[in-house]
Amino acid sequence: MVLSRLLIFRSLRSRPTRVLLSAFGIILGVASMLAIGITNLTALDSVTRLFKNTSGNASLMIVSADSTQRGFSERVLRRVENIPGVAVAIPTIQVKTLLAEQISTDQIDLSFFGASMGGLTLYGIDPELDIRARTYQISEGRFLSNDHTTNEIVLVKSYADQEGIGLGDWVSILSPKGAQRFRVVGLITKDGPGQINNGAFGVIPLKTAQNVFDRPGYADQIDIVVSSAYSSSDALESLRLDIQERLGKDYAVIYPASQGRRMAQMLGSYQIGLNFLSGIALFVGAFLIYNAFAMTVVERTREFGMLRTVGMTRFQVTRQVVIEAFVLGVLGSILGVGLGIFLARGLSRLMGIMMNQEMGTIRIDPNVLATSLLVGVTVTVLAALIPAWQAGRISPLEALRIRGTGRDSWLIVHGWSIGLGLLLVSLVILILNPFPYDVQFRLGSLVVFALFGGATLILPASVSLWEQVSRPFMRRIYGNSGRLGSSNVQRAKLRTTLTVAALMIGVAMILIVRGMTESFSGDLKEWINAYIGGDLYVSSSVGLRRDIARRLESVEGVTAVAPIRYLDVKWLKPDGNEQDLSLMAIDPAIHGRVTSFVFSDKATNPRMAMQHLAEGDTVFISSVISEKYGLKEGDVIRLRTHIGTKDFRVAAVVVDFYNQGQVIEGSWGDLRRYFRVNDATAYMIKVKDGYDVQEVQNRIDALYGARDRLIIESNQEIKQRISQLMDQAFIMFDVLALIAMLVASLGVVNTLTMNVIERTQEIGMLRSVGMTRWQVVGMVLAEAGLMGLIGGIFGLILGVILSRIFMISMTAMSGYNLTYVFPVQGVVVGLAIALFVSQIAAILPARRAAMTPILDAIHYE
Amino acid sequence: MTVVEAKNLHKRYQLGKHVVNALDGVNFCVEKGEFVAIMGASGSGKSTLLHLLGGLDKPSDGEVILAGKRLSVLDDGQATLVRRHNVGFVFQFYNLLPTLTAEENIMLPILIDGKDPRYYEQRLQTLLELVGLSDRRRHKPDQLSGGEQQRVALARALITEPAIVLADEPTGNLDSKTGVLIMELLRRSCDQLSQTIVVVTHDPRAATYADRIVFLKDGQIKVEIQLKHNQTPVQRLRLVMKTMAKLEA
Repeated sequence: MVLSRLLIFRSLRSRPTRVLLSAFGIILGVASMLAIGITNLTALDSVTRLFKNTSGNASLMIVSADSTQRGFSERVLRRVENIPGVAVAIPTIQVKTLLAEQISTDQIDLSFFGASMGGLTLYGIDPELDIRARTYQISEGRFLSNDHTTNEIVLVKSYADQEGIGLGDWVSILSPKGAQRFRVVGLITKDGPGQINNGAFGVIPLKTAQNVFDRPGYADQIDIVVSSAYSSSDALESLRLDIQERLGKDYAVIYPASQGRRMAQMLGSYQIGLNFLSGIALFVGAFLIYNAFAMTVVERTREFGMLRTVGMTRFQVTRQVVIEAFVLGVLGSILGVGLGIFLARGLSRLMGIMMNQEMGTIRIDPNVLATSLLVGVTVTVLAALIPAWQAGRISPLEALRIRGTGRDSWLIVHGWSIGLGLLLVSLVILILNPFPYDVQFRLGSLVVFALFGGATLILPASVSLWEQVSRPFMRRIYGNSGRLGSSNVQRAKLRTTLTVAALMIGVAMILIVRGMTESFSGDLKEWINAYIGGDLYVSSSVGLRRDIARRLESVEGVTAVAPIRYLDVKWLKPDGNEQDLSLMAIDPAIHGRVTSFVFSDKATNPRMAMQHLAEGDTVFISSVISEKYGLKEGDVIRLRTHIGTKDFRVAAVVVDFYNQGQVIEGSWGDLRRYFRVNDATAYMIKVKDGYDVQEVQNRIDALYGARDRLIIESNQEIKQRISQLMDQAFIMFDVLALIAMLVASLGVVNTLTMNVIERTQEIGMLRSVGMTRWQVVGMVLAEAGLMGLIGGIFGLILGVILSRIFMISMTAMSGYNLTYVFPVQGVVVGLAIALFVSQIAAILPARRAAMTPILDAIHYE
Repeated sequence: MTVVEAKNLHKRYQLGKHVVNALDGVNFCVEKGEFVAIMGASGSGKSTLLHLLGGLDKPSDGEVILAGKRLSVLDDGQATLVRRHNVGFVFQFYNLLPTLTAEENIMLPILIDGKDPRYYEQRLQTLLELVGLSDRRRHKPDQLSGGEQQRVALARALITEPAIVLADEPTGNLDSKTGVLIMELLRRSCDQLSQTIVVVTHDPRAATYADRIVFLKDGQIKVEIQLKHNQTPVQRLRLVMKTMAKLEA
């Protein structure tokens, strides 16, 4: 112990820069891993909490089992109230509407990642009953009176402030009966139910809501507060089953928080991607640690040699280095946890923006924390194992030499054959791809690391070739000293290899992220272009009657109006399970005049496919469903409809990412026939050639905007909004890639500093024979530049290969079958960053080399 | 009593296509309490001999018996333990750990052996006094002069009371005045502590502190001379120089 304290702690203390550099690898790796873990949990929490808050003390809730039904009769309330165990049953009506005064496009309901955004959510409640379940924090005024028929409204204060509404003001709210005036009697804080719809929420009396929104005697949901005897989870579950049995299959008795599960599932694949990238960041961190320890061992060769001569065994020397790594791992991981928590705040906020939901305080889960710490320490110790073993192999004779001799290790000399083998095997696995989807994902992950490993092993053998090719360029940029610097790359091959490898992985990550982003957004844009076809998009918060189409068609400048109706349907899968799908109903006769579908199979004849759809009893399915469940044209999909189960033939496979791709497309006729629905969610309008879109938009707005509560948006605006949301979603991936690059740049600093220290005498000699300080700087920068170039180019090659693998994995996981887009932007950015980073990182070591006085350098030992 | 014995030692190195005979049939032994100097020109094999005697390297042929143990049959771990308990090394470049103080550097072999340093406090005191560094015991190597660092290295070599101290050019990196001081210290530890010492040096002045000088040339022992106590330093030096001149001729 005394020996450990003396040797290990002092050794760490005596090399603060090296320790800091290696620790940075761990700190950043652990931080990114933890931050992603915390952010994922926080997002999940906030979703769960939101749905829980919505229900307050209610432990169960009743909704209509058939989502095509708009609520159910209030009479069911009486049946529920009498069930033993039910303390209070609270009915609500839930509507999405708008303030009549302020119809603006950004209020339109838009779904991304399953999160609904915009609009004003109103709950019609029974004030006496409701406060027994939900806690409304009044900040101004009072709560609703017990008169259920008044036009009173309570809004969330932050929303009211934002819309310029004060206590006592009258506000107009859109309803099927036109704008209705409500007096604001109270404002609540954005807590509990105040968080619904991110604060754009208000409550009005139940009877008023039923009347105004044309739903007399109806409720959308009944929240149930159970008596205390049923508070245990077993008792609650038996009560739930009891109620379910008494009410029958037309109703679903569910737990409030379970509503959040669907949203959490949607975030799933996104989170897997983030976790994977943070894993790679840690992997790069491991390179840095390995490099730092390998250097430390070379630097301390004489020290270890001396320890061996005075009787330290090989094991003792190895153990010393391992303990040093352990101490460093613990310190780095602890600091990484601190940084990770800090980073998690930023990422959670980003996630919050993406989901349009406040994330609240981040949740630091002990398990995630412990895992991060454990992974950090383990990775550090593992990365230091080889250097530690090498330290143990140092011969005592090394102590007698003036300087330790760094011989090229076996891996440096012969590793290329193993590397080549690894690359070939990985590529063969990828090309032949003989495994089922779930294996592919695991294998894909392994192959990623195999490719990185293989490329790293090949690096040393190719360094001299690279050096020869780039020497003239280095000479041109940095002069003769650049040529010298470039040839220096070949000297400390191990060190150089690892640094280049770290840069390579960093660049590859940038490429992967960019490749995925560009491919994803490429397909998404193609789909959006088709999805939001035509020129204008007309929607309303109060439902669009079919006859509006005729009126829109009569507007000057309009050539075609195509309706869309979204509906949640249940798919009875062959395995007996049910799954929620979105059904998008279109009118095949008109749809093609306004917009088009993107068919997965390029051979599909669009005209024939639309004709099949028009004939009825057919659907299109999304490529996601097709990939995930192995369905193809001609197969049958069974849906639960208003008149019982019904089989629909798959007429074509189309690219559609609505509802995470869980969507099918059907005809307007089938919608009416089987689902008894005859209104539209939106109308897409095609403007006649020669007419200005903006003018037509204004004309429709003037004619019907106020009268029919229409929201008219140009498609350009919608596309812009969606692409903005997409960019936000991908920012997190970019952050992780940049973290990996930052770690790699620390590797460059480490390596060059070590090289400069090792060559102090040589630099002194060069200076003494007339090399200027700037030439010395140029020499070091040239060496760094070459590292950046090699790392950059290798990274680009690997990045392109890996982004393809990632797409395969993604297809396996989520069914998204994307068209690969070569990331031109990523290639340019990746290479530029590699070169830039290598030069920036080289500044300090170069300065050190240039500033050392000649005499000191010559006498340096 | 023989502390170390070399029997028909051969050491060959492969240098490209050539085989270099660094040692070519050396027979040599050192008795307890003896102070032996090994001299010879560069490349004569004197350092190689020292390495083999200390178990740092293995001979191509022949064997070394150190403190009764045949080093050639020991594996690395066993040889390490023999070194730890029986040999003290002094190097030309001191080889102190820069992070440890003088006294910690001296105690290093004790700590490596897992022993409680408190039991060696008395020994440490004695050695610090012997090397004259009692007042600088808490200094780190970078706060000590070259001579002081070498004295710390000497004390480190002596702390375990080894059977033999092997010094490789201990004065090679020091000025002549400091070199004299180190040799006097070695002499004193031989006289006062009955320490067996073997010094490799090419400095004739340093060699005169020994009881016996072994001259190596081309990997073989060519001459051995015994120095007498009653000889003056000048007489000893003259003898050494004469032998060297004879050997060169």
